[in-house]
Amino acid sequence: MNKKGVTIGVIVIAVIAGIAASVSSPSETMNLDMERSHGTISTAMGSPILGDPSAPVTIVEFGDYQCHQCYNWFHNTKPAIMEDYIETGKANLVFVDMAFLGRDSSPAAQATYCAEDQKMYWEYHDVLYTYQESKIDGGWANSERLKAFATSLGLDMDLFESCLDSGKYSKRVQYNTQQARDHGVRGTPGFFVVGSEGQQQLGGAQPFSVFKQVLDSMI
Amino acid sequence: MTSVINLVFLNPKYLVLSLIIFSSMLIGLLILSEYIFLEPYVVSHLPSGTEFGFILIVTISALSALVLPMNIFRINILKKSKQKMGGGIVGSFIGAAAGACSCGPIGFAVISTFGSVGATATAFLTNYEIPIRIIAIGILVLTYFTTVKSLKIECKFDPNS
Repeated sequence: MNKKGVTIGVIVIAVIAGIAASVSSPSETMNLDMERSHGTISTAMGSPILGDPSAPVTIVEFGDYQCHQCYNWFHNTKPAIMEDYIETGKANLVFVDMAFLGRDSSPAAQATYCAEDQKMYWEYHDVLYTYQESKIDGGWANSERLKAFATSLGLDMDLFESCLDSGKYSKRVQYNTQQARDHGVRGTPGFFVVGSEGQQQLGGAQPFSVFKQVLDSMI
Repeated sequence: MTSVINLVFLNPKYLVLSLIIFSSMLIGLLILSEYIFLEPYVVSHLPSGTEFGFILIVTISALSALVLPMNIFRINILKKSKQKMGGGIVGSFIGAAAGACSCGPIGFAVISTFGSVGATATAFLTNYEIPIRIIAIGILVLTYFTTVKSLKIECKFDPNS
């Protein structure tokens, strides 16, 4: 009786300790699925999946946070895709960095993963494309501004700053940029729409009508 | 001014040349600036906030189509020097280069080939795209007026004109 009670007690304490550890240290919850791929593209180092992970079609977006065409796509095309395909479970989206435009491109991409450590990847991603300014390396995405964006989202700044300053995700961004090059992406934004029967590449900030035709043919 | 335009463009050869310059520059720049896409479907698209850039492209194409044939006419028909052709070519080239780089395939190729120097050049052409295009329009307008003035003077003294 006593032995059984002690065993149950140890299991309960271990479970509680495990949950407490995972809640109290968000920087450890990287949650990377190293095997994750969509079509021929390894998206293991990319963003979390936006939308239903079991959706029949995935849109893989290669982008740079300093690219104004990515800004155009984010504001002009993405909202309709969100409404008609992602929120309805017909498609999901993964963002993969192609940080090539300027010296602030890679730190901006790294900052999104520092936000992901605190489960705020997409919120931070949206903030960058909302507050993007027209000048490449004009200072809008320098270290101070990236930290200010994190503050505005209410992130734990000690964790965020140590993550960003250490360059923890530098290699992750490099890996993603190499994925873009390996798949023949020659500019941002670049897209692959991946379905069960293959994948279709789309170059540039194409309008919703093009995505609709491609997506509807794959669903 | 109208008589000079008539003098050049009543010749069908120069009218065709003008139309070719206008359409090729317009379509080329609209593709580079992602107003027109060719794959997977041919589609045109004017995103909100990019209207001014579109107007500048149309203006540069129209001015190039006006200025370049006039200068070619001047060189061919009046056998004048090629020096004044420079303004038209420079204006057209600057106007075209301003929007060609950015995050598209040309910008990517320039950065991949020339590294940090290419990135700096691309960033400059992207950051100052609108002012550069306005300067290009200024050069083309200036070239237009100097060409018209030259043609007026030169034709006056040419007994065959």
